[in-house]
Amino acid sequence: MLNHIPDSIELVDYVDDGEQARHYRFRILPSNKGNIEKYQLQPSQQHHWQYNWGKVQPGQFFMLNVPSLGEAPFTFTEAPNKQGEFRAFIRKMGQVTSQLFTMQPGDILGARGPFGRGWPLNTTSSNNNTLVVAGGCGLAPLVTLIDNFVNRLIAQRAISVQTNQESIQEEKQQLVLIYGARNKGAQLLTPERARWHEHIKIFNTLDEYEENKSATTVQGSPLTVLPKALGFFTSPPTIAMLCGPEIMMKSVATSLTEYGLASNTIFLALERRMHCAVGLCGHCYINNQYVCKSGPTFSWQEYQELINISDFSTNFSSN
Amino acid sequence: MKTYLIDDLQILQLHLSHYFQFNQVIKNSDGQPNWQQLLPNEIKPLIDEKPQTSAKGFFFAEQENLLIFNGEFFQETLPTPKAFVLFGMQSCDLTAIHYQDQFFKDDPYYQARRQQCLLVGLDCITPCKNGFCPTVNAGPGVRDNYADLILHPLGDQQWLVIEQSDKGVQAIKGLRLKEARSNALTKREVNLTHCEQLFPDDSYITQGIKKINAGNIPNTFWQKVAIQCLGCSGCTTLCPTCSCYGTRTLKQDNNHFSQQRFWDSCLYEGFQREASFNNPSVDAGSRVHRFWQHKFGDAYFTDFSRYGCVGCGRCEETCPGVIGVHSVMKRIEQENLDA
Repeated sequence: MLNHIPDSIELVDYVDDGEQARHYRFRILPSNKGNIEKYQLQPSQQHHWQYNWGKVQPGQFFMLNVPSLGEAPFTFTEAPNKQGEFRAFIRKMGQVTSQLFTMQPGDILGARGPFGRGWPLNTTSSNNNTLVVAGGCGLAPLVTLIDNFVNRLIAQRAISVQTNQESIQEEKQQLVLIYGARNKGAQLLTPERARWHEHIKIFNTLDEYEENKSATTVQGSPLTVLPKALGFFTSPPTIAMLCGPEIMMKSVATSLTEYGLASNTIFLALERRMHCAVGLCGHCYINNQYVCKSGPTFSWQEYQELINISDFSTNFSSN
Repeated sequence: MKTYLIDDLQILQLHLSHYFQFNQVIKNSDGQPNWQQLLPNEIKPLIDEKPQTSAKGFFFAEQENLLIFNGEFFQETLPTPKAFVLFGMQSCDLTAIHYQDQFFKDDPYYQARRQQCLLVGLDCITPCKNGFCPTVNAGPGVRDNYADLILHPLGDQQWLVIEQSDKGVQAIKGLRLKEARSNALTKREVNLTHCEQLFPDDSYITQGIKKINAGNIPNTFWQKVAIQCLGCSGCTTLCPTCSCYGTRTLKQDNNHFSQQRFWDSCLYEGFQREASFNNPSVDAGSRVHRFWQHKFGDAYFTDFSRYGCVGCGRCEETCPGVIGVHSVMKRIEQENLDA
């Protein structure tokens, strides 16, 4: 049987970042024993959690339950550690998040998850040049993926220093990030981008940007810098991960296929309204699939097949 | 599994009403047939009219609590219904329950109710208004194993009672019914075949299904149809296979919070609207298209081994914009598209 009941979580702390957005840290609390027995779950002896919080993949999501308002899906920017602490980047947008923003450390909320199909991990682990294109808040689902990559680079460097090898400035494996936002105030996840800055190449684009002082920021959309970013790779990227407004992902993916990337090597993470996250409530449909279960990550090939059947391609809302 | 002959259906009704909360379709004061719970002394003769609303609400409640938050923990609030019988359910609605049983197979709230239910099916021997169950393989005879018992009217107050499951066998144990003759089931087949022949020609539906799946109905067609969609949710409410739901939180007296789910409709403008107000199905045409895709799309056929439509015709009866199944299929026919 499916479990619709959240584990209780405690709001540990939060840090403001950008316009009406925060980095939240939560801690999963031991579960109500009744639920564990009822579902014959096998929680870790240590934690008594209902859910398998130790197995979160980059790109998966959880349902945050704000007890007085309801539930909404969010991504992890840091997967739960052994103590059950995890982070999420949350923008104040609707009723659930507005209520969350009034809550204080120590307050109790709920969480269910992890849900969905995350980024294809096997393809990012070795010998792949990866292009990441994110728009606004769409960077959040990519944080753990980029973190993993950066941590691997740092570890490799440490080994090369220890073993006295030549500096590997030009690693075989590269990751390039294009980050688009409406304006400076809408550039989010500042600590993360600062952390990655010296390890990966980042191209920033702003829709509204008049000064042209920065060498790393240009006026325009991610499409504007796409040729430049692709040119930065020593050998062409073999995989692309996109997350942002659907219209942005569509145009970037289209350009990438023109550039020569196969449509099954381009991945998109979709946003949809969700009430259940287990494929029942119907809200997150895309043709005959539910984004909560089949996604939120789809290859460009899968996505096009879904869109073509349903023929909704002309129906994207621009706001 | 045996087949019995009974010449007083009331004996069976009274017997079941002693062991189960008894529900049957009766005519309300406004003359509309609907499911109603009856006490043993209220039991009325079985009528063969299709109820205005299907029985889906018996399992997938129109609204129900999922959980309660007590300030510390979230606790499941599973329903604990007494054993109940739905007596005399037509094949279209039984087929829908079979469909929902698959969709909600892992949902604890649905299953808590479903497992308490005895389904007594009723073969239709005359077509109903707007019904087209034979076209979508959902009737008029009750499909094998879709009910626990099947009733078949032989005329002159005589009925066949056909056992379909262990639950059904147990339910009529002790009634000492007379076993039917071996030709009884043949008679049933003849009656059902005859009934199928009485349905009006609805080849436009079969053709429409082909055209929907060929994918060559232009968006402009759906947009034109959608002008007549008032977003009233009549079709999705009455459709026995529609199952979308929303959730909401309610404050209890003791400052605890309950989370409810309630029937939602994919035809509502805000069904997919996100907190940011981005709305992937903001176009009414895309919503109407998707509704019919869900009922007749081959992709769903693969998942459920049948279409999502069971041919009850309730959408046609209820739609104030006249875009129920018959109306839409006839308009598709008039579009003169290549299948």
